Amino acid sequence: MAGAARTVVAGTAEKPPGRISRIAAHMRREWQIYVMLLPTVIWLLLFLYKPMYGLQIAFKDYSLFRGIEGSPWIGLEHFETLFQNDQFIRALKNTIIISFFTLVFGFPVPIILALMFNEIVNQRFKKTAQTIVYLPHFISTVIIAGIVITAFSPSSGIVNTILGFFGLEPIYFLTRPEWFRPIFIGAGIWQEAGFQSIVYLAAIAGISPTLYESAVVDGASRWQMMWKITLPSIIPTILIMLIIRIGNLLEVGFEMIILLYQPATYQTADVVNTFIYRQGILNGQYDLAAAAGLFNAVVAFVLVMSANAISRRYSRTSLW
Amino acid sequence: MSGVRLENIVKAYGALRVVHGIDLTVNPQEFLVLVGPSGCGKSTTLRMIAGLEEITEGRLTIDGREMNRTAPKDRDVAMVFQNYALYPHLSVAENIAFGLRIRRTPKDEIAAQVKEVGGILGLTDYLLRRPADLSGGQRQRVAMGRAIVRRPKVFLFDEPLSNLDAKLRTQMRAEIKRLHKRLGATSIYVTHDQVEAMTLADRIVVMNEGRIEQIGTPMDVFQNPVNTFVAGFIGSPPMNQIDAVIATGDGGPVAQFDGQSLSLPPLDALRQGAGRRVVIGIRPEYARPVHGPAEGAVRITPELVETLGSEALIHAAIGATPFVIKTETHMGLTHLENVDGFTIAPDMIKLFDKETGHVLRNEEGR
Amino acid sequence: MTNMTLYSRGDRMFVILNMILIGMFAISALYPFIYMAALSFSSGFEARAGNVVLTPIGLTLSAYKRVLSEPLFWSSYGNTFIYTIGGTLASLAFIIPGAYALSKPQLYGRRFWNLMVAFTMWFHAGIIPFYLNMRDLGLLDSYFGIIIGFAVNGFNLILLRNFFEGIPRSFEEAARMDGANEFQVLWKVYVPLSKPAIATVALFCIVARWNGFFWAMVMLNDEGKIPLQVYLRHVIAELSDDDEFAVSLLRADYSLETVSAAIIVCSIIPVILIYPFLQKYFNKGILLGGVKE
Repeated sequence: MAGAARTVVAGTAEKPPGRISRIAAHMRREWQIYVMLLPTVIWLLLFLYKPMYGLQIAFKDYSLFRGIEGSPWIGLEHFETLFQNDQFIRALKNTIIISFFTLVFGFPVPIILALMFNEIVNQRFKKTAQTIVYLPHFISTVIIAGIVITAFSPSSGIVNTILGFFGLEPIYFLTRPEWFRPIFIGAGIWQEAGFQSIVYLAAIAGISPTLYESAVVDGASRWQMMWKITLPSIIPTILIMLIIRIGNLLEVGFEMIILLYQPATYQTADVVNTFIYRQGILNGQYDLAAAAGLFNAVVAFVLVMSANAISRRYSRTSLW
Repeated sequence: MSGVRLENIVKAYGALRVVHGIDLTVNPQEFLVLVGPSGCGKSTTLRMIAGLEEITEGRLTIDGREMNRTAPKDRDVAMVFQNYALYPHLSVAENIAFGLRIRRTPKDEIAAQVKEVGGILGLTDYLLRRPADLSGGQRQRVAMGRAIVRRPKVFLFDEPLSNLDAKLRTQMRAEIKRLHKRLGATSIYVTHDQVEAMTLADRIVVMNEGRIEQIGTPMDVFQNPVNTFVAGFIGSPPMNQIDAVIATGDGGPVAQFDGQSLSLPPLDALRQGAGRRVVIGIRPEYARPVHGPAEGAVRITPELVETLGSEALIHAAIGATPFVIKTETHMGLTHLENVDGFTIAPDMIKLFDKETGHVLRNEEGR
Repeated sequence: MTNMTLYSRGDRMFVILNMILIGMFAISALYPFIYMAALSFSSGFEARAGNVVLTPIGLTLSAYKRVLSEPLFWSSYGNTFIYTIGGTLASLAFIIPGAYALSKPQLYGRRFWNLMVAFTMWFHAGIIPFYLNMRDLGLLDSYFGIIIGFAVNGFNLILLRNFFEGIPRSFEEAARMDGANEFQVLWKVYVPLSKPAIATVALFCIVARWNGFFWAMVMLNDEGKIPLQVYLRHVIAELSDDDEFAVSLLRADYSLETVSAAIIVCSIIPVILIYPFLQKYFNKGILLGGVKE
């Protein structure tokens, strides 16, 4: 039966077996789960951990010809270059501004939406409305961008058609730097707010109905119950979601930006990841772009770790 | 036939020992019940026999073959789980057939055996249903069917009735007993319910804190508990236990407590035992309630009467020690409420050492 | 909760106002899709002039005819199916056994392996090293690279692992006593018991694959291998600069707007078709994988 299934092995009564023979016995009977784990581990090493090794090019004068190993070390030169580079500084600034406003405007909407959904009495209406507002989440960035571009087009877009109806001049939205962030953040909220409300709705569903029943008996109005029962009950969830969001603050939806921005709007639209994309993939400055990426990843890592530590301390729930 | 033998079986998780060296022989065709409070190591012992837990020390043999290192599937044992572990995605028939399929038994043979087992357990009409569509008792039967169909040498039951309501439990208990009579397979059954243990077992093994306290037939364990633990665990309500001191009376040894005295049987251990501290054990069933003065009666302070229909429990106290009498109700309830004492035949009194808890008895035993 | 007739007047006002607001939000979520559909069936002239609002104006199928006559549309549509189906199957092939192994308490170094997965969720080497690694592995410009290179995802892995951990151990023990080996326990017991969780993971994979665009854009040069989303981007971003297309507009009843809208409609249709299944499972999935170790 060698190796088949989980054979039980007893430590013999006379002498406890050594570490090596214990591991050998363990492997003999449990090899199957290691076979199952192996592909995933290899995959992680090959596709996620090997690139981490490749991150060293951020400290090297990398050329495709010499390869990662063969390129000479140059220390922090790329980082110095970056911090003297106006484009990078601008991208960093834009990343922070866009993240911040996405959080400020985007975070409350799903909560409000969940509270409102909870107040709907007609279940069919509720289900239908939910079905509709979740839908945009499943639509690809390219399509959302396509819709935005079409809808905001100066000559044919619906937005300018409406503006024209009120007698206003058409606006070239996507070429105007001051319009980029509102459109980008608005599109993000439009796409994700409905779906994000699910978490809060689940938290609301967990509130004991007896709380509402006793409030009804006490003569509370629905408005009061929403404020005094529902909202306070989901505050732990709100806090956890807030911490998660802060942890992921730098994860600006750069795919969407690549699709929406153009040189005319770089000034407000270009973020670190789009900068990396242009410098690295399009211009072939791999080492400099990798340095920018490393900087971004380290800051993100610190944010995530602090968020988790805070969550662990204050809510007993760690995020992973 | 297939017996099971445990020799000095130990289970430890790191430094924590949960089973402290158990010696036990299960005879072929015997129905053995392991009983004890939760955490006493009975389930762990069963799982070691099944092969689901490693045996830390000791030797396990089934049918004379050492099984310590044998995989569960090669031990030729079957187990009925507390939660039945029925696969919700399979029909009753498929659940029963699961083990045979894994072992690549020919299809027609599987079909025949499933049919037969279904018949034995009265599941013929339910073979195509899913577990979710069955009642608790039916699920329990399917779980047994899954064990029976493999015709194992040994059946293991891990609290199989504890998820059922009281009425079904009684019914299934009888059914398990009938089944065992019919199949005659060696069975080891774990429960924390002493009523189940009493009704099902050929022999009972009372366990506590990872050790065996007593092994014996149900009546033996009930009549002659070896220590205060068994006395307090077996029987419902459990044996009354009163702290007392031995003294020498006119007709032999007496026990003194709460300013009263009670004549004791003439035990060897009591011959020079004056002043010895003991625990008196009196079964609630054997105490005879009395009202008013009576020869040799012990006075009690009645508190309340619980009526159970044909029987009643009189809850009372002797000093600060609670005392329960179980009696029949045909005397009338008003009479029971007036009870203020009881008498007991001396040879129905058990005596335990106060320090060790061990029973005191004559050298030749009783 | 209670019956509407039991409400006070204030409550009734509140409920109705709330319904109106939600209704408006729902309409705003739905409207862009209606707008796109309307555009796609409108004539190019009306679309360019910005006259289309809710329903098609100058009803025509010419935009669809143009889109469907484009070989690149068909090949990219086909490629998207290959990437979606292949990628989802690849993901499941890695994730199911991997999550099962990670859920086993007897796994040696379990904490280490779990940390190895979790770390990839906190720290990513970034676009450039990932890209260079793909190039070094010779996986640029290949179907295989796209399908395998994104197969494992820490979130999905942990979601499924959590679900497996929640399955009572007695199921496994019963199977083991019946003689099942580890692979049989996984395949005959855990997989059937985990259908909802696996369906959730599969749906997440399908949606991510169907919508994936950035890496396909970066990794694929060969037009014959690009998926629909990359093709769509090409149409939206570059068709306006395409002289041949501009010339064709002179003779046709479509415009850049209607053609874009038609492709968008075509690429949304499969998502709409699986949307009922998505809805059934994503609630569960979000909660399963959510905020929990």
